[in-house]
Amino acid sequence: MKNCLIVDDSRVVRTVAGRIVQDLNFTVSEAGDGAQALQHCREAMPDAILLDWNMPIMNGIDFLRALRRETGGDKPVVVFCTNENDAEHITEAMRSGANEYIMKPFDADIVYSKFLETGLV
Amino acid sequence: MQDTTFNELADLALRQTGQAFERSKAYLMEARLATICRRESFAGLDDLAHCLKQRPNPRFEQEVAAALTGKATHFFKERETLEQVIAHALPARLKQSTNGRLRVWCAGVATGQEAWSLAIRLSELVDQPLGKAHVEIVATDVSLPALQIAQSGTYGHYAVQTGLSIARLMAHFDRQDTGDWIIKPGMRETVSFKRQNLMESANMLGQFDVILCRNVLSKMAPVMAKQAVETLAGQLLPGGFIFLSQDEDIHPIQPTLKPSRDMRGAWVPVERDESAEEAA
Repeated sequence: MKNCLIVDDSRVVRTVAGRIVQDLNFTVSEAGDGAQALQHCREAMPDAILLDWNMPIMNGIDFLRALRRETGGDKPVVVFCTNENDAEHITEAMRSGANEYIMKPFDADIVYSKFLETGLV
Repeated sequence: MQDTTFNELADLALRQTGQAFERSKAYLMEARLATICRRESFAGLDDLAHCLKQRPNPRFEQEVAAALTGKATHFFKERETLEQVIAHALPARLKQSTNGRLRVWCAGVATGQEAWSLAIRLSELVDQPLGKAHVEIVATDVSLPALQIAQSGTYGHYAVQTGLSIARLMAHFDRQDTGDWIIKPGMRETVSFKRQNLMESANMLGQFDVILCRNVLSKMAPVMAKQAVETLAGQLLPGGFIFLSQDEDIHPIQPTLKPSRDMRGAWVPVERDESAEEAA
């Protein structure tokens, strides 16, 4: 079974997203900010990462750039999942190594569609 | 909703668009007519049916029937079929073309995502012969409100995130201040939209190399589906292909068409010289 790390400072979002990706046959891990997520990845690299942008301590884009520099950090499929939905943020995310981008609010159909686009399902 | 109301509305849908409604789908009827009921201040479908009976108005009947058709769709739905069109059907037709021009009819497009998906996919074929061909896409639906959305090329937050990758969204759509996304001007010219009821002659649309009509016939009563298939087949150029959804079987109602040997979901005329299909 594939593992998805959900990185968001909102416990509610982590819970909702967690249920959706569990329904897609993923095991779920959680992190409340980029620093926690990076530590998690160093211990066990997930198959997929659902990533918020604005978080305390380390934000999503800084986490993504750091992740891609890690050994094996090129492997996880990273799907941004954020309120930042303008072209500039999307372009910056994709240039920094994101594989897909979800604009909040989201539902199960959107997550499924984006996971399908990236070959995760 | 009273039984008589259901029967009258089901009969209207059948007569006008060929769509068959079972009593168990009464909730769909209520959902699809809710906007009209609100606009006209009807208390419910019983009021609506009463108005249709007491004050016959062909244009209003047409609007109600069109509103009853299904509009659930999304970008790049049934990708396998789309790829068959791109990889096999259109290249086969291009080989037979003398002027490098091809015509595609997307019938029953609802809010247009199928037509735009095809246009987007074609625009990605930069270095291929098909990418250099002139492919005219004509998209039709019986519902004017749905066609208005399709023609505007404007889609909301959920629509653009279902079936459309972020790369395609950024390449082919611009974000508006409202938060909606609108198809870019260069892409807009590749699709034309027209109202067409498949129960009526489509001669005005002309002839086509490829016709897509997915998830439409299976919603129709068999006798009406037969009529719709005749409408589609009447606009197919010799050697052309009709694509339906992969689970739609029209052979029992239209024995003059048969499934293509090489392309799932594609149908060809039975009188076709088999060698023409070999080219695909």
